[in-house]
Amino acid sequence: MEVPPLLNADTPIERFGKSREDVRLLTYSKNEIYHDVFRNLCSYFQVGDVLVFNNSRTIPAVIKTVEGIEVRLSRQLTHHLWDALLPEAFSGDLIFETGVSARVIGDGSEKPLKRIQFTTRNTSMLNNLYLQGDVVRYEHSAANWPLSDYQTVYASQPGSVEMPSAGRAFTWRLLNELKKAGVELVFITLHAGLSYYGKDKWPTPSLHPEPYVINAKQAQLINHAKAAGRQVIAVGTTVVRALESASEKGVVVACNKETNLYIKEAYQLTVVDGMLTGFHEEEASHMRMLEAFIGKDAVHSVYKEAIERSYLWHEFGDMNLIMKESVR
Amino acid sequence: MKKKVMMIIGATKGLGRALAWHYAKKGYDLAITARTDSDLTALKRELEKTGNHVVALAGDMSNSDDVERFVGVVFSIYRKVDVLINNASIFGPGPELLLDYPNEVFKEVLLTNTLIPYLVTKQVLPGMLMEGEGIVITLTSEAGQTGFSGWGAYGISKFAVEGLVQTWANECADTGVRFHLVDPGEMDTEMHNLAVPDCDYELDAPVQRLDVFDFLLETSAINGSREEAIVYQQRGEN
Repeated sequence: MEVPPLLNADTPIERFGKSREDVRLLTYSKNEIYHDVFRNLCSYFQVGDVLVFNNSRTIPAVIKTVEGIEVRLSRQLTHHLWDALLPEAFSGDLIFETGVSARVIGDGSEKPLKRIQFTTRNTSMLNNLYLQGDVVRYEHSAANWPLSDYQTVYASQPGSVEMPSAGRAFTWRLLNELKKAGVELVFITLHAGLSYYGKDKWPTPSLHPEPYVINAKQAQLINHAKAAGRQVIAVGTTVVRALESASEKGVVVACNKETNLYIKEAYQLTVVDGMLTGFHEEEASHMRMLEAFIGKDAVHSVYKEAIERSYLWHEFGDMNLIMKESVR
Repeated sequence: MKKKVMMIIGATKGLGRALAWHYAKKGYDLAITARTDSDLTALKRELEKTGNHVVALAGDMSNSDDVERFVGVVFSIYRKVDVLINNASIFGPGPELLLDYPNEVFKEVLLTNTLIPYLVTKQVLPGMLMEGEGIVITLTSEAGQTGFSGWGAYGISKFAVEGLVQTWANECADTGVRFHLVDPGEMDTEMHNLAVPDCDYELDAPVQRLDVFDFLLETSAINGSREEAIVYQQRGEN
């Protein structure tokens, strides 16, 4: 699959005087492909269906030391401990401009991540991160867009080092419209780690734990909908990962823990009936998750069509609704 | 059960300081901010003696980066805010006719006083909406309903703030989140001294104007209401 460079969305759509919800929507359901605009999303769901969102808020996770060494945080383990991406040859202490320091204490959950320990208290460390840090950026971005461009409009719980981008196209107008139409909106939290280590190296989901929280009320809403035969649609791969991790024989259990679940083609989804997501690179594990929904061939046909119709890729791009069953 | 969390913008002086003490003593965990770090740190140390948790970070809440940082850190620690009090505002120069008003200061006062409750509320609100409850109280003034000679951009900004809160209240009707305006009335504060430098009558201390906040937090007042603190003070005294 060759994605023409022209299809890399490098600019938030609002910069063109449009709304977030003006991106395009490609829907796949039972061998059928539909083309639409995201603002019409409401017409794909029925009363009682549940949309599950990730309300994690993006933090500025890139910090530079006084010597100019770039540190990309990936996952917070405790108040002081993080897994982070550092230059491979680095060893010793990290001294940041605002006086905060950290020390490499070993390897992270997988190569090339390292485990680092900050020497300052949590509040001070976070404050300095916001004062000095920058958002994680990749080369497909046209400019250094501010952190606010990397937030969903409903993000409230800081902790993701990259935006859970499937929700970026939602506006509060659209959320209110969905609610009015009888669609249940549930907001859980999963703090997303780095999705790319550079040099064509991608995280292996089974070695890439991410913390998530689902409370009893949220679990109950989802289980109630499932029991009533309604559809549960995950807004983003992070939500699929959290819900399937929290599932015990198809029933979502409230939890506050980490997941290292790897959802790929043979995986039998037990909770999620559909997912909204952006368009991904072929190498990313997200693609294996899509295959778990509709199989390899169908994913291939969706992506072929998306390229032919010039859908836009990445976090500022267009949206894809993938349903296990038919949209009604 | 987790303690209630109150966020106070402009907490080191006047009414903000009185509110911080009052609700720390009532058992709230606090998230406080103001522009001067040394004042804020000193207040945090004192407030912590009540046994409650206090997150204190200095910043300019009319600056969106500072708001992202302050609210971000607060949510990282508490994961929620139950009550937001938008107390901070600036007065600008002392009594000054509009004809004499410096243009840059006019812009600064209008922007500062309207951006603070807009930016902070915008970042705190999604968390409240997801909980289906929350209270946002924004401070106003009689000068937000009547134009007073010499009060310049301050009064005009309070007209804007009243419109802002009415709009928030209308857009969030039936969500479980309530918005209120509180007019604290004349009090013995630095700001009053700027606005009325030759005041020749006795003024109440801010601590005497807190009953209205208890009323708003402890009863189910109507979303969008505008309350005058003096009314609740008189009720308490009778």
